[in-house]
Amino acid sequence: MKVSKRAIRLKLYYGESFNMTNATLTETQLRSELGDFNSIICFRALITGLEEALGEKAALISAIAAGRIRGKNLVAELGLAGQKPALEEATAAMSQALGKEGTRLCIIDKIEATDSGYRVYCRETVCSAGEPQGSSRTLSFTLGAVQGALETMMGQRLRGTQVESVLRGGQYDVIELNLR
Amino acid sequence: MINSEKLGHILQNFVAGLSEIQGAAIVTPDGLSLSSALPPGMDEERVAAMSAAMLSLGERIGSELSRGSIERVLIEGEQGYSILMDCGQDALLLVLAHKSAKQGILQLEIKRIVAELKLIFN
Repeated sequence: MKVSKRAIRLKLYYGESFNMTNATLTETQLRSELGDFNSIICFRALITGLEEALGEKAALISAIAAGRIRGKNLVAELGLAGQKPALEEATAAMSQALGKEGTRLCIIDKIEATDSGYRVYCRETVCSAGEPQGSSRTLSFTLGAVQGALETMMGQRLRGTQVESVLRGGQYDVIELNLR
Repeated sequence: MINSEKLGHILQNFVAGLSEIQGAAIVTPDGLSLSSALPPGMDEERVAAMSAAMLSLGERIGSELSRGSIERVLIEGEQGYSILMDCGQDALLLVLAHKSAKQGILQLEIKRIVAELKLIFN
């Protein structure tokens, strides 16, 4: 059976709840009236609420860990686990799954190889959205998702840190992933 | 760069040194595993994230409830102990010990390995 790009996108978006054999369906909504997207306002409230209850550090660790699982599962669904694709291909796959055509977590413009790993250039990340300029907020779920995805694709253990932020004068939210 | 082979060697010696110690892991403060010697069936990455979150939650409790700085987090279960210790800015240690472990000996062994790890990370 030939599976359309749209079907792959829907599979990525809806995960196991979307049946590939129903690829002809135009949309599968998890909610009948509201559709499948919710506001960044609620996402931010979830993060700030966790920070309030657990402390910033524990909330950050939890959000990164959740993101890593999401990234790993996403890559497995894409069939790219351990495939070590070229970085252009990895960028395209992640952009499609996480960007405008996917779940809209962020836009990934570029992934570069560095001496010790990778550098990922992200825009419009959900983690930085709505924050005032100069805010000290760092990427959490987004960082984890990018890290988990690259770790699974490349079969490497990486440690991610944010090295540039759109909130602090950068053009991108830049994630550096170093081998550990 | 941290020598993961050396970390692994230290952990293996630590776990092998006392029969009541069932496993151990060295984890970054943001919840990534650096080295581990865990019982079969435990997910290294999940253990790492849980350990870092638990220790930072302990620190939060220490601060919010005016308990001062936290030396360790100890979880006592029916089957044994899970102990979390800070090893400086870059790592923390998780130790899993059997219920029969003598607390004094266990604490001494942990103190010894933490001192060794602090030398590496500092």
